[in-house]
Amino acid sequence: MRSLLLKAAAILLALSTAAFAQDYPNRPVRLIIPFPPGGSNDVVGRVMATALSEALGKQVVVDNRSGAGGVIGTEVAANSPPDGYTILVISIAHAVNPWLYKLNYDPIKSFVPVGIMASGTNVLVVNPELPVKSVKELIDLAKKEPGKLQYASAGIGSFQHLGGELFKLEAGVDLLHVPFKGGGPSMIDIIGGHTKVMFSSLVQTTPHIKSGKLRALGTGGATRSPVLPDVPTIAEAGVPTYQAINWWGILAPVGTPQPIIDKLHAALTKVQNSPETQKQLSTEGASVMQMSSAEFGKFMQAEMTRWERVVKEGKIKAE
Amino acid sequence: MDLLNNLIFGFSVALSLQNLAYCFIGVSVGTLIGVLPGIGPLATIAMLLPLTYNVGPVGALIMLAGIYYGAQYGGSTTAILVNLPGETSSVVTCIDGYQMARQGRAGPALAIAAIGSFFAGTVGTLLIALFGPPLADFALKFGAPEYFSLMLMGLVAAAVLAEGDMIRSLTMVGMGLLLGIVGSDVNTGIPRFSFGITELTDGIGFVVVAVGVFAVGEIINNLGDPTERQVFTSAIKSLMPTREDFKASIGPILRGTGIGAFFGVLPGTGPAVASLSSYMLEKRIAADPSRFGHGAIEGVAGPESANNADAQCKFIPMLTLGLPASGVMALMLGALTIHGIQPGPEVMTLRPELFWGLIASMWIGNLMLVVLNLPMVGIWVRILKVPYRFLFPAIMAFSAIGIYSVSNSAFDVYLAALFAVVGFLWVKLGFNPAPMLLGFVLGPMLEEHLRRAMLMSGGDASVFVKRPISLVFIIATVLILLALVVPAIRKRRDSVASS
Repeated sequence: MRSLLLKAAAILLALSTAAFAQDYPNRPVRLIIPFPPGGSNDVVGRVMATALSEALGKQVVVDNRSGAGGVIGTEVAANSPPDGYTILVISIAHAVNPWLYKLNYDPIKSFVPVGIMASGTNVLVVNPELPVKSVKELIDLAKKEPGKLQYASAGIGSFQHLGGELFKLEAGVDLLHVPFKGGGPSMIDIIGGHTKVMFSSLVQTTPHIKSGKLRALGTGGATRSPVLPDVPTIAEAGVPTYQAINWWGILAPVGTPQPIIDKLHAALTKVQNSPETQKQLSTEGASVMQMSSAEFGKFMQAEMTRWERVVKEGKIKAE
Repeated sequence: MDLLNNLIFGFSVALSLQNLAYCFIGVSVGTLIGVLPGIGPLATIAMLLPLTYNVGPVGALIMLAGIYYGAQYGGSTTAILVNLPGETSSVVTCIDGYQMARQGRAGPALAIAAIGSFFAGTVGTLLIALFGPPLADFALKFGAPEYFSLMLMGLVAAAVLAEGDMIRSLTMVGMGLLLGIVGSDVNTGIPRFSFGITELTDGIGFVVVAVGVFAVGEIINNLGDPTERQVFTSAIKSLMPTREDFKASIGPILRGTGIGAFFGVLPGTGPAVASLSSYMLEKRIAADPSRFGHGAIEGVAGPESANNADAQCKFIPMLTLGLPASGVMALMLGALTIHGIQPGPEVMTLRPELFWGLIASMWIGNLMLVVLNLPMVGIWVRILKVPYRFLFPAIMAFSAIGIYSVSNSAFDVYLAALFAVVGFLWVKLGFNPAPMLLGFVLGPMLEEHLRRAMLMSGGDASVFVKRPISLVFIIATVLILLALVVPAIRKRRDSVASS
């Protein structure tokens, strides 16, 4: 009830300030990153915060509100005044969380899309001890011994986990999921040869593919990755319907005046076109992705539908 | 003498005026954030990372590394002075360090912590230079079964902490285990004991418990007992350790360094494991274990050396394999990639100035820290002379800020307040909170690795004795159990015989 009142007051306030969108922003803007410092969400978010500060002419301050797979920070953003001074970084987790957690906000209706920032693909890697050289051979091996082959992930509901479950569905194989607490530990485990397969984020994995500690079988994008031009996409290597990309975007609380959204979107576009931002994003294996605010809204819907199926059919949520 | 040449080359890089400056900035910032609870190296490095984009990769890495190991030095300061652990790894230092301070021996405690850390840092640096790659390969052999057996050995060896009142100690270990269970289950993602509170789905933070129980709980205790406060404000004796102090500390420093280096190489162990293990070992082998918890200098020297050796050796997997052993190391890898350097084994050969320069700078940084910290002892100790009506609110404020800053969560501050009350009750009822920490730290890891090992083996428990490294730990566990049990049985038999 209190939050509803707050919200109503905030909307009134927003309406009255809409006229002043001209001089937005006249104080620092808070960018909520719903993940702890250090992860890919944080890196991408901070790259954007630095560049947006310049584009908007006011400081964009990062506020890490981590916990519960991003739910805590997202809820904070949903309950913030819709005046353009609180915005939120989201990732693929935003489209997955509704199927994993009980949420106190609506992933679509509680927000207005500002724009998508960037996307990055995953890569299917195996420890070289595993005698498979292609996606086809991996599928054959998995079919021979269903449920025996193990893949590592950064945890339940992580991008690595979803990529694996999607592969199981699309390729019609049974792999055993071994969750770790974070991407680092799972990477160490597969390089040590304890687990053999992983659907990893491309960038953290590239050095190990190049040094021969891991063998790349396929990437998860629609086209081959410029980082690994010799590696086929998983789709062309035998699972035509497979596509798993991670993405990052910006949302504002619902009720944020349209002129402010437009201003933020323009600043975002400007930032995306700068070569420096593109270079910094590439270190996270991410590349710039551009859509209008409305297109981004539809994109989020489509992603939610895609991962709903994976979460439900893959029985990721155990209850 | 390849190594010598390499090291000379490394020092020539690290001793450039620019890199010395970066090193100095790094260790100073590190000391500062180490002193403040909650604000750890992870958040600091994440915030400062963009500033290093314009610095060369060598300078950037030297500075970021300095922040990281500098924090290990600073963490002990508030632990010793006011029972407030500045970093996760320094919570063990609270146990005896704070008692030393209460006896007017804060100076020697701080000094020995700095000296032990310096020695451990030196050894850690040498280990990276001499055996980096083989140690990293050894660490990769550790999978879930190995980690489980290692933790099991640790927990059994810790039965040692249960000397004195066995039942009470074991109760507290159990309490720690229970607290550690709160949060999402790793294998299924189902929240346990979270009571529908979203903030509890990631478990209870270590800082929340440690600061609540130790720092704030201690304040309540002090307020409840005015006579004790007078003991505390009694004249502060010498600032530097005595000859006896040094004599007592040499062994713990050496052993602590060894333990820290071992755990440091293994990426699957958290920051408090090394210092806890060192503490348990020192207590176990001490001639008079009852001194521990009442201001034994060994209980400061060992763990402080262990956590610094651990911090230093965490660089091994990062530098030699490009693998992150912790969140901080993942950030450093990110710093390298931003500068266009692919982390991995090639860094050593392709960018020797980076590898050897960083190693040399770490030693220089450790030297700076000890030079920086020893004269500071006098200043820090003076804090204790601040009247309580000022000191206590200040500690409360810093604790609150620190806890909040871990994940910007007000809920954590409330939770810590709850733990302060609980900690106060524990002490009043005669339950020592130290064994609780042990269960809280080791319990979740033990469970995680056990479940993962069983998941991967398809439920076959023989995996723990089939894998050689795991088998070694299991055998050691059995031997420790025998060593604990046999004397007890013999004693009983003797007493039966004599009666």
